[in-house]
Amino acid sequence: MRIFKNLGQALRGLRLNRGNTVLMTIGVMIGIASLTVIVAIGDGIKSTVLNRIANMGFGPESFSVIAGAGKLFFARSQNTTSMTLEDAEDLLALPTVRLVVPRQRKSIQIINKKEFTSTRIYGVTPDWQLARGWKMKDGDFLSDTDLERRKRVVVLGATPAKKLFKSDDPMGKMVRVQNNYYEVIGLLEEKGLTESGYDPDDRVLIPLTTSMSRLTHQTYLHSIKVVALDSSQVPETMEAVRQILRRNHNLSVLAEDDFRFITPEGIMQRVTESEQALNRMLMLVSTVSLLVGGIVIMNILLVSIRERVREIGIRRCFGARRSDITVQFLFESVLVSLLGGFMGVGLGLAISFGLQRFDVLPTHITVEPFILSFVFCSLIGLIFGIHPARKAAFLSPEESIRSQ
Amino acid sequence: MNLIEMNSICKSYRNIGFETKVLKDVTLHIKEGDYVGIIGPSGAGKSTLMAIMGCLAQPTSGEYILDGEQVGKLNDRKLSRVRNEKIGFVFQAFHLLPGVSALENVTLPLVYAKNPPGNIKERARELLAKVGLEHRLHHTPGQLSGGEQQRVTIARSLISDPRIILADEPTGNLDSKNGIETMKTFDSLVKEGKTIILITHDQEVAQHAGRIISILDGQIASDSEVNHEAQTRSL
Repeated sequence: MRIFKNLGQALRGLRLNRGNTVLMTIGVMIGIASLTVIVAIGDGIKSTVLNRIANMGFGPESFSVIAGAGKLFFARSQNTTSMTLEDAEDLLALPTVRLVVPRQRKSIQIINKKEFTSTRIYGVTPDWQLARGWKMKDGDFLSDTDLERRKRVVVLGATPAKKLFKSDDPMGKMVRVQNNYYEVIGLLEEKGLTESGYDPDDRVLIPLTTSMSRLTHQTYLHSIKVVALDSSQVPETMEAVRQILRRNHNLSVLAEDDFRFITPEGIMQRVTESEQALNRMLMLVSTVSLLVGGIVIMNILLVSIRERVREIGIRRCFGARRSDITVQFLFESVLVSLLGGFMGVGLGLAISFGLQRFDVLPTHITVEPFILSFVFCSLIGLIFGIHPARKAAFLSPEESIRSQ
Repeated sequence: MNLIEMNSICKSYRNIGFETKVLKDVTLHIKEGDYVGIIGPSGAGKSTLMAIMGCLAQPTSGEYILDGEQVGKLNDRKLSRVRNEKIGFVFQAFHLLPGVSALENVTLPLVYAKNPPGNIKERARELLAKVGLEHRLHHTPGQLSGGEQQRVTIARSLISDPRIILADEPTGNLDSKNGIETMKTFDSLVKEGKTIILITHDQEVAQHAGRIISILDGQIASDSEVNHEAQTRSL
């Protein structure tokens, strides 16, 4: 069969032009590997970011009301004097509300003898633990008694505990904030750094009443966390909360809210927006790397075939048809594309797994980039592998054997 | 019957708007079994004439009948088959596939043959033995001397048992000893009944032929039979 002979000649051609074969294979391989790795890294970062946003301590049935107007999600919380404990009590009275956690917060230095660290201090009620579902590593969470008696007690997150006490057991020890000493009565379980660098363990908790009288010296709240009975009741609960707060704050019909909501939906919207932005970036980066890979393959092929015009001429002199030349170079391109393609997929997978495995970057491996780059690189290989060969085959044999 | 019949062949090349006439109205008939030497200074059009004879290029105008077939009317498939079956080429620059063993270079025409014989390797070995290269079967062109490479090309030109051997300056790249060897090979091929067309600018080489056509400036300047017996007697 003529086609098998052409295949044989193609194999011989690849062997004879070993240098070019290796270059082309590497070109295809790198093209595919870089694309797939970039997409895997992009996807990995995307899902981490999305996870991080989605895991900000919200169950589907909870939301937060932050004092102060504004639309910015991550806006720095100003000291606003609008939300009070009365607001929180009114909200708890709503029939669809299960829990309400009023909060104050302050970023401040906390000291143990010579060790000190800056952290976020939250003044909260005992329900905080229920609302967050955060387990204790040791000791107990703040109790109602602590709250009633404005006790100077503190629950440490894992990060300040480590910074202040190193390997010592902090339980029962005293830490100083400003001029007050607080007894450590509990330690929160460690959650660990998120990939984006956010440290959920960098916090300490004291009773809200203690915070009001000894830390912030004011009764206004930073925010109220509201947990509804059921996630389906979140929208109506939010509307009710809005009405109560507007009434309590004496806002006229035209006035804007002097508070803002952070909701699972809001977060999901944020997630979607981030996802879209990340997707656009990914698309751009992959397109660029695809183009670069394609151009590399194209150039290697163009050069390699220009070198082989004489060979094409010789074959034509001894009876090769144009179609024989085309088929031979088609086989060569297909073989190189397949070889480079599989190597590229392998390399891409290996690098992606490696980055994940050794905690360099989060990666997320999906099938699509592999298929896309495989098809694209093979197409480039085919087009630019065959087209110049066909052109050479259409020269008269006399012209092509004379070419150098 | 004429094996090669060229009637009013013209060939011109166009280069950046300039037209160069390389062959001007060449009419030439060659019979089967002829041993023809085509001589002329470089640039006279010998190589172009050979390219057209070998179906490696098409004439600009004129009619070329090879073995009763109008070459100008053949499509690529049929033309490739003519080159494959009827003509064996020997080039001055050898034109062997680099990196490929002598044996495989010799079998190249059979890769493209319509009905290749079963014992390709054996035939190639025989032919290489015939040109004295039985000990160089697996050497690549780079490992062979010029004379050896030329012998490989001769073996290659014979593998598909063509009726015509077209040799373009076969001794051009060889020293005199190898040149004489090559010419002896051609002489013996004629005795086997091949039609040989030898292109050269070397009068001495041309003297091996039975008929010498001299080309000057794209036209046939003279066409004469060589009387070998008369020559031998006069020596």
